[in-house]
Parts: sequence; C-alpha cells; structure tokens
Amino acid sequence: MEIQSATEPESLPAKPIFKPLKAHEMSDGSVQFRKVSVPPNRYSPLEKAWLDIYPPVYHQMKVDIRMNRGSRKVELKTLADTPDVSYLQKSADFVHAFMLGFDIPDAISLLRVDELYVESFEIKDVKTLKGEHLSRAIGRLSGKGGKTKSAIENSTKTRIVIADTRIHILGAFSNIKIARDSLSSLIMGSPAGKVYSKLRAASARLAERF
Amino acid sequence: MAAVKDSGFEALEKLKSTEPPVFLAPSSISEVARVASQYLFTKLKPHNPKSPFDELLVDGFDAEQIWQQIDMQSQPLLSSLRHEVKRFAKNPKEIRKIGGLAAEASLEGDVDEMDMDDDNDVEDDDDELEAVESGGEEEEEDGEDEEEEEDGEDEEEEEDEEEESEEENEGIEDKFFKIKDLEDFLEEGEAQEYEDFFGGKKKETKRTMKDVIEDEEAGDGNQGTEKLSTHEKELLKLQSKIEQMEKANLDPKHWTMQGEVTATKRPKNSALEVDLDFEHNARPPPVITEEVTASLEDMIKSRIIEVTATKRPKNSALEVDLDFEHNARPPPVITEEVTASLEDMIKSRIIEARFDDVQRAPSLPTKSKREAKELDDSKSKKGLAEVYEEEYVQKSNPAFAPATFSDELKKEASMLFKKLCLKLDALSHFHFTPKPVIEEMSIQTNVPAIAMEEVAPVAVSDAAMLAPEEIFAGTGKIKDESELTQEERKRRRAKKKRKFKGKAVNNIMLVVRRTAYIVIVIVSNMFYMSLVEQLNLQIIR
Repeated sequence: MEIQSATEPESLPAKPIFKPLKAHEMSDGSVQFRKVSVPPNRYSPLEKAWLDIYPPVYHQMKVDIRMNRGSRKVELKTLADTPDVSYLQKSADFVHAFMLGFDIPDAISLLRVDELYVESFEIKDVKTLKGEHLSRAIGRLSGKGGKTKSAIENSTKTRIVIADTRIHILGAFSNIKIARDSLSSLIMGSPAGKVYSKLRAASARLAERF
Repeated sequence: MAAVKDSGFEALEKLKSTEPPVFLAPSSISEVARVASQYLFTKLKPHNPKSPFDELLVDGFDAEQIWQQIDMQSQPLLSSLRHEVKRFAKNPKEIRKIGGLAAEASLEGDVDEMDMDDDNDVEDDDDELEAVESGGEEEEEDGEDEEEEEDGEDEEEEEDEEEESEEENEGIEDKFFKIKDLEDFLEEGEAQEYEDFFGGKKKETKRTMKDVIEDEEAGDGNQGTEKLSTHEKELLKLQSKIEQMEKANLDPKHWTMQGEVTATKRPKNSALEVDLDFEHNARPPPVITEEVTASLEDMIKSRIIEVTATKRPKNSALEVDLDFEHNARPPPVITEEVTASLEDMIKSRIIEARFDDVQRAPSLPTKSKREAKELDDSKSKKGLAEVYEEEYVQKSNPAFAPATFSDELKKEASMLFKKLCLKLDALSHFHFTPKPVIEEMSIQTNVPAIAMEEVAPVAVSDAAMLAPEEIFAGTGKIKDESELTQEERKRRRAKKKRKFKGKAVNNIMLVVRRTAYIVIVIVSNMFYMSLVEQLNLQIIR
C-alpha cells in the first residue's frame, strides 16, 4: 500500500488548468444575443445618448451593439473575443437601466461595479391609492424640487427613478432595501422630516460599516 | 535345608536353655552358637536383599569376621525397625493389620533365633580355640559376642515383626521414600488441625448437627491427609476466616447499623449501652429565672413604645440612658470669634478670587465633531459609479481617499482666516511682517487607526489619527428608534423642546433687542431731525 501511494503521484498526470471559457466557446461557437426593447419615451434620449452608450459597451465590454430601428430594439451580440458571458448580460442590464430612465453616468455603474441591481415596484404594491391621493403620494415621494428624492439618493447611495406610478431603484442590495423602506413610508403617508431622521441613522450606519 | 533348619532350631533352643555362666567359659556351646547364628542369618536374608552374603560363612572364620557379616546384615534392618517402631507407637491400630502374620512371624523368628544362636556358638568355638591359644582375651570377646548376641536377638525379634509388614510395600519403597512415612506425616498434620478447630475431642457432645457433619468431613479429610505443608495450613485458615465473614454478612445487622431506628425496632434499653453522639441543633431551652424574665420585660418595655415628651414624666429622659445615633452634627455655637473667623475667610477668598465653583469637565481639545452625514437635498453631481468608486478606494486605500466635505470646508475656512490675519498683522504692526509660510495642513481623516497602521503610509503621521472619543462620544447604550419605551420617547421630545425653546427664546430676544435698537435709532434720528429742524427754524427765524 505504501509503495503504491509513493508511486501514484508520479504516475498521475499534472492537474489540468483550464482557462475560463469564452462566450463563443461556451455555446460551441454560436453567437449569443440579447435584445432590449426601447419604450417610445426613451427613443429620442437614446438617440442623443447613443455616443455615450456605444463606446463602453463595444470597446470595454467587447460586446457588439446595434439599434434595430424597425423593431425598436437594441441588440447585443457576443464577439469572438468577448472575455466572459457575464459581459453580455451586464451590457444588456446597462442598456435596460437606461431604458428605465436612469442617466448614463448612473447606469455605467452597472458595468463597472458588481453586485448592483435594479429593483422596480409600483405604488399600488405598497398602498392602493387613487386619483388625488396618488398624485399627492407621488409629490411626497419626490418632494419639493426633488429634494426628498435627492436626499434619499445621497444618503443611501442609490439612484431612484419615479416614473408615474412605477419606481425604480438602482444600487447595492442593502442600500436598495433602505431606499425602498423610506419610499414605502413616504407612500404610506409619513412626513418627509420623519423619513429624513430615519435616513440619517441608516446612512450613518451604512457609512460606519467597513 | 529342613535338616539344617531343624538343627538350627535345636541349636537355638539349646542356647536358650543353657545357663548364662556356661557362655563365659569356653565350651562346646560355640558350635551350637555358630549353627544358630547361621540359621538366623538365612532367615533374615529375605528381608535384606542388598546383603552380599547368601549365608553366614562360619568355617575357618574367626569371631570377628563372623560378627562383621552379621553387622552388615543387621545395620539397615535396625534403622527400618526403628521407623516401624515409631509408627506403631503413634498409631497402634496399624499393628492389628499385621495381626494375622504376627503368629507366623513369631514362629519363624524363633527358628531364626535358633540358627543365629548356633552360628554364634560356632563362632564361639573358633574363638575359644583361638582364645586357648592366645590367652584370656577370648573370654572377653566371647562375653562381648554374647552381649551382642543378646542385643541382636532382641532387635531381631522386632525387626522380624516389622519386616513382615514391610514386605507388602516393597515394590515402590526405597530407603528414602516410604509411603507409610508419608501417610504418617499427613495424619499428624490433620490431627493437629483437628485439635486447633474443635479444641480436641472433648466437646463432641455439645456441637450441633452442622458441626458434626463438618467434623465428619474433616474427619474424612483427616483420614486421608494427616500432615499438611505450611502453605496448606495458611490456606485452610484463610478459608475459615472467609467463611466466618460471609456468615456475618448474611446475618441481619446490628440495630446500630440499620439506619433510622425507632424505639420499637431496637431491643429495650439498648440505647443506654451504645455511645450515642449527635449534634444538638436546637439550643437547650433557656433556664427561666426571675432575673431573666425581669430583663426581658425591661427590654420589651423599652422597645415597644415610642415615647414623646408629653407621654413621659418630666425630666425622665435624663434618668434613662438613652442611646441613639446622631446623624447630624450638632449645630455650631455662634460666637463672635466664630463669626469673625468666617468673615476673614470670606474676605480672603474674595481677594484671591478662589471661589469653589463647580467646574465643567474639560472637553477634549481636538474633539472633532462626528462626520455628520448631512442630508444633502440637492441633486448629486457625481454619478453613482463615481460614488461607488470613491467608496471602494476609501476601503482599499484609506490614505489616498479624497477629503470629505467637511474637510474641504475646514481647509477653505482656515485659508481664509490666515489671509485675513496676515492683512490685519500687516496693518497693525509698525514693522512689516513678511508673509508667513503656509504650512502643509495635515488632513485628519476620520479613518480607523487600524487601517492606517496596516498600510503605514509615510505621509500620514500617527498623531493625525483620531482618537476613539473623537469619533464617537457617548456611552455604548444606543437604543434604536423601535427599542425606545414610551417614557423614553417622551423624555426625548421634552428635551428637544427645551433645547429648541431655549434657542427660540434667544432668537426672540435677539429679534426683540434688534427691533428695539432699530426703534431707538429711528426715534433718536427722528428726535434729532426734529431738533435740527427746530434749530434750523430758529436760525432761520
């Protein structure tokens, strides 16, 4: 037994080291696609911001991107030298975030930083409001000149898009949670001052975390 | 041989019948003696297998030589005879076994004796012949021979009896090993033990059936083994002890060892015999005497009643020895001297300005306010990516972290102040002071000391790092909003209100003061104006 174990490592071949598969190799050479549909209200902003979208995706992510005007979709495709499959997905998420309403500098963070997510929910998920109440709720959410929204964004390091009754939050998971709680409390009817105090505590805690 | 036997026997008979003085003188009795001794020798020959002689050689031998032959035969016989005698002495029962043979042996023994006598006579004749030739020595020799013969006869008788019994065991036996000797030894030992245990045979009648059975068993054992080795004796003693102890364990215990025993369970008056020793938990009841009762009554009286001055007779407190603690100092007696000393002290204190005021605890000099994350209402100019980038950089490399908002403000403020100071100095001093070199400001980032120490950046000194008190001031007991109780919430609100009210009051006061000032200014102006106008008017007039 001892003699065998002594000779075994010599006889076995060296442990093989495989490089991570490229996108093309994973799908056996076939190309992978992503298609992001463009809502009509974002069509012209997309045209304006195209020159900001295209370079990072194509040059940094090595993902081919094009706009299909006919189908009103942005199409993304892996190239031969796309390093990883996740790059394609990240690019798709980036484009999708832009479509939701986030600005380019904010949406770029999806490309650069891992672990960032976009969460969407509707006001009616929190509380059924109709008519004026709904409008007032939306007003409460954004605040005067958007200061409440900005306050939440700054304190929790997130970005918020309030599109009529839909709310999108972009950021890290725990930050999203805090922002969502603040927004929910605003929808439920708490005054902004109260939300501010809670935000202060939460942000302090977030800042001290290391 | 029968003729010889007969002749031998006759010779023995003849020797027996002759009177003793005949032996002393040389006579023809020597022939008879030789024949008799020959007869005896041949008779004893079967009992002595090791002897080299088949028969006693008499012809041509002198008395000495004949005697030597007899001696060689008789020596071993004598020793065996001694053993047999001892055995029979201890156990006379053995002799009965040989009872049947004894009669035969005695006959044969007689015949042998007769032969031996004849032989001896023959020896004597030879001796006599020689004695005649030599002189009176032979008489002595004859005498010796005769004495020896007589001794020999007696011993030979005993030898014969024992030899008959020996014939049975001749197969196994040796000079050294005799089974009968072994049996004798074992029986000796058993007999001793028998006496040890049961104190001899005297107490037979008193013993119970058990003991009788044991005796029988012991007896049976005894019959087989009389002599035991010391080891075996010890073993038997141990066994007996073990049996005794086992018997004691099986029996019901003595009442003192039975645990809780009531009076019914123990024999009458048995507690008197045993030396009982237990702790007395209860004090013995006190002996009640008049003195004791009197003292007790006094104590009760004194303790029960709280007596005020009206309830007790006048000046009775003086008589009783009151004893109570004095918590307060007695009030000081006020005399002129005391007051004078006090006033002096006050004056001196005022002059010195050494008032014992309560001083506020000094706060830390470089206590930096905690980086209060002020809620920034304005829309952030940085993109989210930049925010995360900054955070990451701060985490990974704290030394190169960009300065926070408050740091920048501080920097700006200090720069402005320095410029202002420079200008003022230049204006106020006659001698021109050159522009001071602006020292490099070290930014105290609110960064944990550990991170700084780990990275050990050269640019940052240890002194710049914030102490824990500077980072966070307060106790560790921080309660979350949800953990506060109702009272605590109320307390917090009240505190806030008080603080705010203070501020508000100050504000109001400020406002009032300012308005009053303004009013006064206006009024004064108006008054002045009116005065001026009046003057003017007067001048004009």
